[in-house]
Amino acid sequence: MSGKEFFVDRYRQLGWEFDDAQPRQAIRINVTNTKGKNIEERLRAIGIQLEKIPFLETGYWVRTSKVSAGATAEYLIGLYSIQEAAAQIPAILFSDLKGKTVLDACAAPGGKTVQLADLMGNTGVIVALDVKKRRLAALSNHLERCHVGNTIVNHLDARQASRLKLKFDRILLDAPCSGNFAADNNWFKRRSLVDIERNAKLQKAILTEAEACLRGNGEIIYSTCSLEPEENEVNMDWAVKHLNLHIEEVDCHGTKGLTKVFGSRLDVSVERCRRIWPGETQGFFVCKLKKLVNK
Amino acid sequence: MKFAFQLGSKIALNPDFVVERAGRYFLLNETLVKVARKDFYYAGAYLGKVKNGKFFPSFNLLAMLAKGEANKIVVEKKAAWLFICGRDIFRKGILAVRGSRKKGDHVLVLNEFGECLGFGKIMGSLDETSGKTEVAVRNISDIGDFLRREA
Repeated sequence: MSGKEFFVDRYRQLGWEFDDAQPRQAIRINVTNTKGKNIEERLRAIGIQLEKIPFLETGYWVRTSKVSAGATAEYLIGLYSIQEAAAQIPAILFSDLKGKTVLDACAAPGGKTVQLADLMGNTGVIVALDVKKRRLAALSNHLERCHVGNTIVNHLDARQASRLKLKFDRILLDAPCSGNFAADNNWFKRRSLVDIERNAKLQKAILTEAEACLRGNGEIIYSTCSLEPEENEVNMDWAVKHLNLHIEEVDCHGTKGLTKVFGSRLDVSVERCRRIWPGETQGFFVCKLKKLVNK
Repeated sequence: MKFAFQLGSKIALNPDFVVERAGRYFLLNETLVKVARKDFYYAGAYLGKVKNGKFFPSFNLLAMLAKGEANKIVVEKKAAWLFICGRDIFRKGILAVRGSRKKGDHVLVLNEFGECLGFGKIMGSLDETSGKTEVAVRNISDIGDFLRREA
């Protein structure tokens, strides 16, 4: 149960006709570092033309570029980050973040950690975890480059987050996932249903731990760059049925979450999730979960 | 902080919030100090590391120093780009000098927007009348290092 034909047929059953996607390069302005600076004008002066991404407040497509967007002085000073457009969505779905205690459960390489710090205006605290130590160097470089000052990085498996003995107001769970073909040319050759089921199991374990570390009324943003419902809607259906969580409405780019998956009916609230099929962006899935106080 | 003094800075960091981990130094704040575990990998603002007895400042620290009184030079666009690429600075690329002009002193290098690009050592005269094609400031560390680390 693998191969392009197998997956394309699955997507058809889910209501999407396969189309070779060409995700566009995108950047995100670090607002905290650009106060009083006209970053668009500065980049234009060095040959980078930007185009506002309609569904993101601080996101821009790189329309044309005479230089590498990842090697400008403006980038190295931390005025902006290179961040795929769909990947900019999860962090903006949280309610107020200023002064909060936030867990970034699977943080490396740190694009979303820096975005959270920016949205928090460097207030409060972010505890960023990653299970792979070699990925922490990239995360740390990203934090240093963007002058983030409110983050603590720990080498820890998100499934052991309760060892921190902290309760969090907000948890970003950008879960390890199977990815999607738009971000990986060999995706169809490398992936099978077995991988997807293994990842779905891991994601449930991380979700369970995240819920245990979350304060009452706290929020989890769950996201993946997988198109497979087992890692997305099916997991969210499981979460509302087995954990003390419910799904909140979100107002963002994407289509409604699927509530009918390969013949199975899911909880109606799963419709509140957002699914982004590949196109100008890579494929993505987001869901906002809130912890119930009394259940 | 000896390094800050070398740059003519009088910055004062609260020693209660400066934490060392495996030769790397971090500046935390009241909130972070309460939350940080003893085995953290990175926390707060990274200040730099000590290797073989020598201090290597972070770009966070240089940017903090650049906000206050310190030895600084402001360089024009092309010189700024070359500096980020690891090159030294010639007198002709310097737009302004603040603080020490003494040979051998350390100096922060700022672009025309006042953003810190790194620091260097004064090698020759920073005087406008001096030879314009002589190396005035030798590059010690620049933000292009972020790219070199990834390579």
